[in-house]
Amino acid sequence: MKGLPTITLILIGLLCALFIYVAEDIPVFGDPNSPPIKYVKLFSIDADALEDPLNRGVIPNNLMDEFERRGFPGPSRVEKVTGMEGEWNTFVSKEEMHYSKEEKYYWIKKEGDKLRVYRYAFVVRWIEKGQEETGTPNMVTYGLADYRGYDTLGETAVIFTAGVSVILLLRRRGRL
Amino acid sequence: MIPFIQLFSLYVIIHGASGPGGGFQGGVVFGSSFVLYVVVFDIIGGRKRLPESVNTVLSSLGLYIYAGLGLLCIILSSGVAQYLNYGFLPFTPHFEENRALSIEFVEMGIGITVMAIMVSIFFDLAWKEKNRKGREK
Repeated sequence: MKGLPTITLILIGLLCALFIYVAEDIPVFGDPNSPPIKYVKLFSIDADALEDPLNRGVIPNNLMDEFERRGFPGPSRVEKVTGMEGEWNTFVSKEEMHYSKEEKYYWIKKEGDKLRVYRYAFVVRWIEKGQEETGTPNMVTYGLADYRGYDTLGETAVIFTAGVSVILLLRRRGRL
Repeated sequence: MIPFIQLFSLYVIIHGASGPGGGFQGGVVFGSSFVLYVVVFDIIGGRKRLPESVNTVLSSLGLYIYAGLGLLCIILSSGVAQYLNYGFLPFTPHFEENRALSIEFVEMGIGITVMAIMVSIFFDLAWKEKNRKGREK
């Protein structure tokens, strides 16, 4: 029983060390180009003879086949990232009612003699398209009330339930 | 002090779309103004200011506003049945402005519910305490 505080102290120290070790991998806060915020890696493909058609805005056939073989939706249009050599944005057109716009979906980057294909994270679309879609300048508000409307409805219901349960538990004497 | 706090909370709710803030924060601030009233004056007067019946109605009214907007969306989206897609509401002719306006209504609904629930919980806790003291005497 006497050794318990010592063991606890050692365990806390180990936990702190673990947290510090894990936190080393977390990217810099607020960096918009860090991998978890910007993209997810899908696959890489040999770059031979793919670069020229991409630069001209044409999607090569074997790249298209690769997309379809892996079950991803095929891109409809490609354009170069402005001011960057060897990087392309690829768009996908979606057949959705009232949202039949094409969306920035894949990000292709040349690394060595390989083309790496990434998919943009949802946050990128949230930041770029949110204001024009909802007409609200505050990113947090349109996220809270519009994109995550269900979530906020649930939160409000939770608060309501808390209030009702306090009423039921504490308010006696037959009045409501 | 109390009217200023209430004015500030209304500002927080209404400017939630353009600045920091929103329904939850504004509702809590509005509720805290009633708490201040009870602390400064007394609990009977506070209960008279916001009667129990009004409090109960308000606490569910906000949720009804929120869910009702979503139901209106289902009805007005004419067969697409998109719950909480505010663009279909007929406030203005533009899809995006509808969404912006509905966000404001939703924030107000959240604010009303949060305010009423905070005040209700506070009154319940404080009231019981007073009763117990009365019984002991």
